[in-house]
Amino acid sequence: MLGKLLRQYVCVRITRMDTIDIGLFEHDRNNTLYFYLLNADEQIYMRYGGRDSTSPDAYLNLESLTLAAAKGLELHANRPAATVRPKPDFPKNYALLVERTFAKNQCVECHLIGDYQNLHRQQDGTLDKLQHLFRSPDLKAIGVSLDVPKGLVVKEATGAAGEAGMKAGDRIAQWEGKTVWTFGDVQHRYNETPRTASVAKVTVERVGAMVELAIALPVRWWLTDTKFRQSSVEPRFFFDDRPLSGEEKKAMGLPAEGFASMVKYVSSTAKTMELHGLEVGDVITAVDGKRVDSHAHTATLYLVLRKAPGDGATLEVMRGGKKIEMALKTMQMSFRK
Amino acid sequence: MRLLLLVFGLAAMAMGQDDDIVWLDSYAEAVKTAKATGKPIFLEFRCEP
Repeated sequence: MLGKLLRQYVCVRITRMDTIDIGLFEHDRNNTLYFYLLNADEQIYMRYGGRDSTSPDAYLNLESLTLAAAKGLELHANRPAATVRPKPDFPKNYALLVERTFAKNQCVECHLIGDYQNLHRQQDGTLDKLQHLFRSPDLKAIGVSLDVPKGLVVKEATGAAGEAGMKAGDRIAQWEGKTVWTFGDVQHRYNETPRTASVAKVTVERVGAMVELAIALPVRWWLTDTKFRQSSVEPRFFFDDRPLSGEEKKAMGLPAEGFASMVKYVSSTAKTMELHGLEVGDVITAVDGKRVDSHAHTATLYLVLRKAPGDGATLEVMRGGKKIEMALKTMQMSFRK
Repeated sequence: MRLLLLVFGLAAMAMGQDDDIVWLDSYAEAVKTAKATGKPIFLEFRCEP
């Protein structure tokens, strides 16, 4: 079936991004596969692709790809109104990317583009970690589980989405007023949401009728596990933690809104690289004297948001009932550089 | 693993029973062909290991 549909398209497969307009084809560059359906005037009908932090193929499926290909032909026949073309942008506009790939005759891969865009933003002072590092917010964080083979049909709606009235069997039709056909479309639109937003406006199709929903976004709705991204703008320190509960903070005399956290994992890399001396069970009560942050609920998130790779910090740590001060160094991931 | 199956599944469709599907490797050529034929474009970005 997919083959029959694809015969009605001009099919093109791109594995090098050297000459691609990355302003037009703007997507999360940590996708291994990503598709666009468009016309000869470069009007994009839809995107297909997207992932979450647990799996690169969480939302890839031949059945839903077939549905998308069929819908693309339908849209092409009916020619929807043209949209405003984004400002063109090309990999050669990024000096670091040119220096470290083009100049060395190395392949310009998708994930390198995302990484170097962020490195340039960091240099320019325009890096917004909430928006640029925590890309592609996870629908599951607001309780939306999709029936992946069926495209945007909701399998289960719990949490914020359930409370807003979303139901199993609904088909997501619009995100913030923009028509969406695929998970790729939704993830693209959801990613555009300012991280300070408190509501997502979603329209679902339910038994032939359109129903508008206002999903109240929970605190840190944008937070995802970024370890798979190999990012060069994220400081790495090789430990994981969990937020202390309200009761634990109260018992220790710590502010309820603070980011005190308990270390739950330490990689041997931390010791090898002499980054810090944290141990499992340590409680980090302050970083550089700070206990509270507007966005962070753990010490690790505070470090990711407020430190650059290579920065140091002083941790206040409770270990076995004693308070100690500890120096921490962070390091920069260096992927093919 | 599922990703590989999907990739190979798609490739098999393109090369097996549907071996008349031509996959271009130039975006500019795809736009030119789409203009000439009136067909839409199915564009795949793939990271080659």
